[in-house]
Amino acid sequence: MKVWTGGKQGKQRWRRRSNTTPRSLLVCERSSFCDENNRVSSQVEQLHFNYKVSVLLSDCSSAPSHLESLLTSFSHFYLVRNLPLHELLDKQFLETAVYQGNVYGLSYRTRLDEDNCVALMPNGHLVLSLDKDSFQVLGFEGKTSTFNYKTKNRYVVTVDLTDGSMAPGRQAYLRLLTGLTSRLPLQMDFLLSHHPGGGASLQALLSRYIWSEHKPEVGTCSLTHLPCPDLQSCDPHGLLEWLGAVDANISRDNSSSSFLSSLVCPEPKRTVSRALRISICGLLLPHDVQRLIQELRCYLGQCQPESWVSLTVHGFVDSPVSWGGKEHGVLRGGENFYTLFIFHDHTYHLHLAAGAQDTCPP
Amino acid sequence: MRRDEEKGEAAVFQRVVLKNASPYHYMKVCLVLEDESTKLSAVELKQFIITGLKTLYGEVGAALNFDLLKYDEDTFTAVLRVYSKWLVKLWSSLTLNGFYQNQACAFRVLQVSPFLLALSGNSRELQLD
Amino acid sequence: MSVFVDLNLSYTADNNRLRALIETAAHLGFSTVAINYVFEPTTKKKQEIPAPKPISALIDHLPIVQGRSRPITVLNRLTVVMSDSSHFRPNAAEYRGFDLLAVYPTTEKLFHSACMLLDIDIIVISVTEKLPFFFKRAPVNGAVDRGVVFEVCYSAAIRDSTMRRYTIANALSLMETCKGKSVILSSAAEKALELRGPYDVINLGRLFGLSDADAKEALSSTCRSVLLHAETRKTASGIVYTRRSCQEDSPQPDLCDAPAAKRPHLAE
Repeated sequence: MKVWTGGKQGKQRWRRRSNTTPRSLLVCERSSFCDENNRVSSQVEQLHFNYKVSVLLSDCSSAPSHLESLLTSFSHFYLVRNLPLHELLDKQFLETAVYQGNVYGLSYRTRLDEDNCVALMPNGHLVLSLDKDSFQVLGFEGKTSTFNYKTKNRYVVTVDLTDGSMAPGRQAYLRLLTGLTSRLPLQMDFLLSHHPGGGASLQALLSRYIWSEHKPEVGTCSLTHLPCPDLQSCDPHGLLEWLGAVDANISRDNSSSSFLSSLVCPEPKRTVSRALRISICGLLLPHDVQRLIQELRCYLGQCQPESWVSLTVHGFVDSPVSWGGKEHGVLRGGENFYTLFIFHDHTYHLHLAAGAQDTCPP
Repeated sequence: MRRDEEKGEAAVFQRVVLKNASPYHYMKVCLVLEDESTKLSAVELKQFIITGLKTLYGEVGAALNFDLLKYDEDTFTAVLRVYSKWLVKLWSSLTLNGFYQNQACAFRVLQVSPFLLALSGNSRELQLD
Repeated sequence: MSVFVDLNLSYTADNNRLRALIETAAHLGFSTVAINYVFEPTTKKKQEIPAPKPISALIDHLPIVQGRSRPITVLNRLTVVMSDSSHFRPNAAEYRGFDLLAVYPTTEKLFHSACMLLDIDIIVISVTEKLPFFFKRAPVNGAVDRGVVFEVCYSAAIRDSTMRRYTIANALSLMETCKGKSVILSSAAEKALELRGPYDVINLGRLFGLSDADAKEALSSTCRSVLLHAETRKTASGIVYTRRSCQEDSPQPDLCDAPAAKRPHLAE
């Protein structure tokens, strides 16, 4: 253990450090789907583990039928109980699922700032976020976590399972396998999903453990007389606050001088007579979110010119990776989400938000 | 704050990165009372929080503005909004508030975030059994 | 970072209250807690050092930690209130039943010897009275080097506004000297409603002069090193570990899960 030895300057730095609020980041982009260089689909692909999608349709009272059928066709996911981690290195599993790509796996009921967390990304990368003890016992190479750089209490091990050196039988593979079987026999509840293969490609792995299949949960709620700010001119934080208030069912009909709350809809505002809020929860794949965006654009094409649609996608708080496989951490809340406003003329506003321990969204 | 703009022909691509720009922080809190049959209205709750601020930070603390955005009287759960720079003060006064009208009580802070949207999408609430 | 730990839940003879404390701690997200037995010797007559109650007698089913699938770990700790150097008996057999050993020195001389000499894990900083002495750099650094940590308890600050003043003042004066390292924050709660969640305590650390990251350390990593320190204290130089092989009616108190990975190495 080391004491702070920075003299007077160090002391000041230490004081300053203890007075700042944790960082937050918000990236705002405006462009059009007609622009060839628009990056929406790559940005959607880069947030791998999505927990909740909520959609707000203006001027709409009931969900159009193909939107509803799309929501029910979201990929199912599987919860495996007490999965020993070395099973992810199983030769058969690698061949039937990982090498085919698009396997999504995330440890469940583990907290990123306390426990060991694991993510299996669709590109075949396995990411283990381990505390110091576990990392040293595992004996595999890894890096200090960026966010615990000074204290060196957390380590991140990233392995590319599709790489030649990690092929079954090779040295690095065997080292990780013996590490996970004999030295650090990690077991955790695991969420798994495979995009084109579905359950069939995971069946061999699932059959050995207690597992259950889950369907993403859909909820709808129709709203009336919704005060709505001018989406084009409103400042991004005010806009997200307004959307958050709609999502959380917070009443906005206060006057700015009332005792309880001065939250009002940003001016200039108009009232939307009908709106529909749809939310879907579970382990959601970026692929399904892409399809949803396409469908929403189709839907907008049939609407009045002043209609718009918003789509908010929340990432998993305890996922060891967020934007594009970059490391993610939790200080007091590991929020990572994005909101996409789509307008009738194919323009869009994209807001990407990240919490204290996150890299800048792409 | 970084700002880079690229002008395309058909549409304008604009990207703005805002760092630490959130003016507010949002808190989801739940009040636990020793005597569970006690009734507490939204106004009483806000008054109680202000009293707590006043005992810890004095008149300056009592002048600290915060909003009670939502309150559920059955579960004593509330959503608060406070200016980011005052978050520490409000939160610590909630933590050190131990008595409501001579009965023991505790504020359980369920979630804190600079984005109100994040409060309705917390994956730690995912229950699969 | 490792799991959140609260190393001080006050012991009460009332089992229901103790059970409620453990359940609340698990519900708030603490993975390991320690039940604290306080021993306050007086010069007049000889007193018995309390014996720890086995955890299984207190609670049948350990509650599940919030959001996780494992049960909470419960340890025993002894705090010796020292007003004279004879109050701490280094080799007392009674101390061996406890997982953790803490002292509460009341004078500067005793504080100095607790930092530099005594074979303990935790030094408790007074929160109920104005500190009669000033923290000097030398003993504090000595304690840090030996792996002994300082403990600040926050529940007195919830109970009473005068105590709150003492808690904040004493904690700030400690942090000035030790710069936020080698400090643990714990509750010393007597009732379930005096416990606070880990993130609340981290924020409270700001009032004590800790940064968010340091306060998080104070609840997790530092506690983990205390638990490891306590385990090596029971061994000879951290290498040889002895224990009685025939046990009939005295179940060994459960050891913490955090250092479990290192335990086989110690036992070898």
